[in-house]
Amino acid sequence: MSELPARYAGDDDLANRVPVIVVWEITLACDLACKHCGSRAGRRRRDELTTAEGLKLIDEIAELGCRDVGLIGGEAYLRKDWLQLIAAVRANGMDCTLQTGGRNLSEDRVAAAAAAGLQGVGVSIDGLREVHDELRGVPGSFELAMAALRRVTAHGLSSAVNTQINAKSMPQLRDIMDQIIEAGATNWQLAITVAMGNAADRPELLLQPWQMLELMPLLAELAEDGRRRGLFLQPANNIGYFGPYESSIRNILDDEIHYRGCAAGDALFGIEADGTIKGCPGLPSAYAGGNVRDKPLREIWENAEPLAFARRRTVDDLWGFCRTCYYAETCMGGCTWTSHALMGRAGNNPMCHHRALELDAQGLRERLVQVKRAKGDSFDHGEFEIIVEPVPVTVPGRVPDRICVNG
Amino acid sequence: MAEQGRVGPHLRLCRGCRRFTNPDEIACPFCHGDMDALQAEHDALQEEVRQAADALRAAMAEARARRDA
Repeated sequence: MSELPARYAGDDDLANRVPVIVVWEITLACDLACKHCGSRAGRRRRDELTTAEGLKLIDEIAELGCRDVGLIGGEAYLRKDWLQLIAAVRANGMDCTLQTGGRNLSEDRVAAAAAAGLQGVGVSIDGLREVHDELRGVPGSFELAMAALRRVTAHGLSSAVNTQINAKSMPQLRDIMDQIIEAGATNWQLAITVAMGNAADRPELLLQPWQMLELMPLLAELAEDGRRRGLFLQPANNIGYFGPYESSIRNILDDEIHYRGCAAGDALFGIEADGTIKGCPGLPSAYAGGNVRDKPLREIWENAEPLAFARRRTVDDLWGFCRTCYYAETCMGGCTWTSHALMGRAGNNPMCHHRALELDAQGLRERLVQVKRAKGDSFDHGEFEIIVEPVPVTVPGRVPDRICVNG
Repeated sequence: MAEQGRVGPHLRLCRGCRRFTNPDEIACPFCHGDMDALQAEHDALQEEVRQAADALRAAMAEARARRDA
């Protein structure tokens, strides 16, 4: 078997709690206005880390054994010292990548980042021109993102694309794939839009649980096609779980690789621009384990209770469908971020292919209805109720009725 | 560090229906196939594919050598 990428967390990493991947929001300032932004980025946080604090933090991250630091925002390049941070990450022997909306990722910026040691860039592309521009809130942002992707490729950096899967983008995934391959992307990370921040204000944008029946075979088909064309599909933690396509969508080098539960707080952590540490960058503030201004990073990583949720979760902590699921011991309710944002607590995740298949076999499906709106803060969420209803009988040419059986 | 991280269990892939199953299953709970028999069939097929690929590589190398001679 070929060597796995540095950012792949093996069993030893998980057991020893090596934070293989650290995702660092270096600023909340942003030049886009995305309708699904979980952090509601735009203006910088009031109290973002200084350059000196950032450089000290990089040393602390390296000491924990991290192998890959991903810089995000907001828009990371809007921070004046972003190149200095990249260089420091690399000087500490870690890989460094950047996730960007690409609106102002100019030729000069790409060249400077490459010179500082940046190895890869992931550009967010959430649809074809019209859908992308609408979701990203800036007319012309699609063309700018595609141009940024081409620039990254031309500079020989590893070029990736991140795509949010939601009601608007799902029908366009195949066309998006064709365009990003043409622009030189070699990796495609896909994540289901989570009901957090701005996305929580737009429930109509979110996928419904029963759409997993359509999404997973599509992703399997795209993964196979992509592999043939040199594009590797990387499903995020909230894509799954365990249907007949589980192996196909995760198969890079080994078809026995499968989902094994949320690794937040064990093999990765997230940093907010003010130094707050969370098990995963998307999680709400209830999961904040402390701030590096108050305590050394190692102390937070090793001892903070709010970072321990994934490793301490047992089947008894699961609820709803997940509690009695065949895969409960392995999956542990899937993505903590997704289920918490939808249901107000982790352990019951309706965005699951196996679950949708089991219900479908009984002639049922689940539908999410928002019952509580989000407050309007960064990383906040509302609350949803699961309606179990019969699968509508489709008669050609007729719109199916919707029957609620469980309010 | 006192507390270890969680290492989720490894499941076994059913070669009949491509669903993952608990490692101790004798029959796949989804397609009811015999897990060991399906795996043996898969392994045999993989071996055939490997041998065919080796043969093709050898034939191509021989043709190249003949052309360059």
